[in-house]
Amino acid sequence: MKNNAHFLFCFFILIGFNTSIYAQDLLETLDKEFPDTPKYEMSTFKTTRIAIGHSIENRKKGVLEIRTMSRFWDIPNNDAGQSFFVDKISTRVSLEYGITDNLTFGAGGTTFDGIFDGFLKYKLVRQQKDTRKSPFSVTLFQNASYRSKRFRSIFTNINKTEEFSDKLAFTSQLLIAHKFNPKFSAQIAPTFVHRSSSAFGEDPNNQFAVGIGARHKLGGHVSIVSEYYYLINPLKSIDTYDAFALGINWELSDVMLQFHMTNARSIVEDAFITQTRNNFNFNDGNFHFGFNATFILHFKNKLKENH
Amino acid sequence: MNKIILLLFFLTNFAGIDVKQDQIIARQGQISFFSYTSVENIEARNNQVLSIIDLSKNEIAISMLMQAFVFKKSLMHEHFNESYIESDIHPKATFKGSIIDFDPLLEGEQTKMIKGFLEIHGISKEVEIKTTIQNTNGTYALAGEFEVAVKDFDIKIPPVLTSNIAKTISITFRFEYQPYEK
Repeated sequence: MKNNAHFLFCFFILIGFNTSIYAQDLLETLDKEFPDTPKYEMSTFKTTRIAIGHSIENRKKGVLEIRTMSRFWDIPNNDAGQSFFVDKISTRVSLEYGITDNLTFGAGGTTFDGIFDGFLKYKLVRQQKDTRKSPFSVTLFQNASYRSKRFRSIFTNINKTEEFSDKLAFTSQLLIAHKFNPKFSAQIAPTFVHRSSSAFGEDPNNQFAVGIGARHKLGGHVSIVSEYYYLINPLKSIDTYDAFALGINWELSDVMLQFHMTNARSIVEDAFITQTRNNFNFNDGNFHFGFNATFILHFKNKLKENH
Repeated sequence: MNKIILLLFFLTNFAGIDVKQDQIIARQGQISFFSYTSVENIEARNNQVLSIIDLSKNEIAISMLMQAFVFKKSLMHEHFNESYIESDIHPKATFKGSIIDFDPLLEGEQTKMIKGFLEIHGISKEVEIKTTIQNTNGTYALAGEFEVAVKDFDIKIPPVLTSNIAKTISITFRFEYQPYEK
């Protein structure tokens, strides 16, 4: 009899087990069938710049970005009288191309300060969803810039201007970002700037900075962004200020527009991080309006696997 | 007594296997969607759609990850996930319903209606979809085509882009099933 009870017990357990399988919802059954491949966070930022500085984002393979970055500002006490729109405009025009999904090359030239620059950007680590394995996205950034224009005032040329190599500067950045939720992402960017020459012996050739930036999505296509670069060892020969920007990014189809208020007049990294000459306020000459327009062309137009 | 229980035990166990075989699964189902407008044609495909059918009850379920859709333009993939379908918040689209008057034992092709609830972008809507079911020696394949209205699923399109995205999106699907074993 005891044996029987044992058997009955097993019997009911088995029946119970079986029925529990049948009663299971078909969708729940499917949930378990999804392959266990890592899921990466997409679009920590949408554009390759947060506002004035680089974000961790790269363009995908075969994508060409035609980009113009402009700054508009007024000259205080302008003798020539006030211009209709703004007194001064500086524009950097560049082409940036995704060589692979992780590697982007870009080159451009800026009108106002005559800086030509080229950069490489490599996506090293991608943040993963629903796991603690990879909580951050990490991108390496390296640029080289050449200052072709010599300013009339000697004091604005903080590097020597005789030899070609005197006019070079290099910026290395480690961009680390985390997408906290679908709306909010933040980035920290330890930065090292090396300038080949210094016109004044007191100025450091190697400068360190930390950039922080964030975006908050307001809707599907609009986000508010802010960036700040803290310079650890500023130049001594001239007064410089930390670069700051507050702006709005608007992404539509193949066009991405970025509007911001900033104090950074230069556009290339080494120049605006170490040589921003004015503080952030709304006075003439200090207030800069920034506008970036990006048009994106796809050269690989076929259905391909991407993640 | 003992023998009867033993018999019952084997019977239920056997029956259990039988019932399990009534479930068939498709692991690499294909769903494509198309948006045709005069400005732009958009096409996307997902080759990793899961579907399961319970042949004893004629019930069907479909589930897919929105991130698995591939586009011709990589930026569209990003916009689709971030700005339209919001796959961070609603990672999956699902369907659950039943195939009306479906006879699993009938060989060859039969055209049936599937009635059920389609959930996209977190919004569930009752739909009826026509499908052709091909049964060759107990191997089933489902295929069909239907349309959904973008506005039914609360997908916001900015006014500037209304001419780029069609109001109704046509969707084609194809699933090939095999017996489901856990």
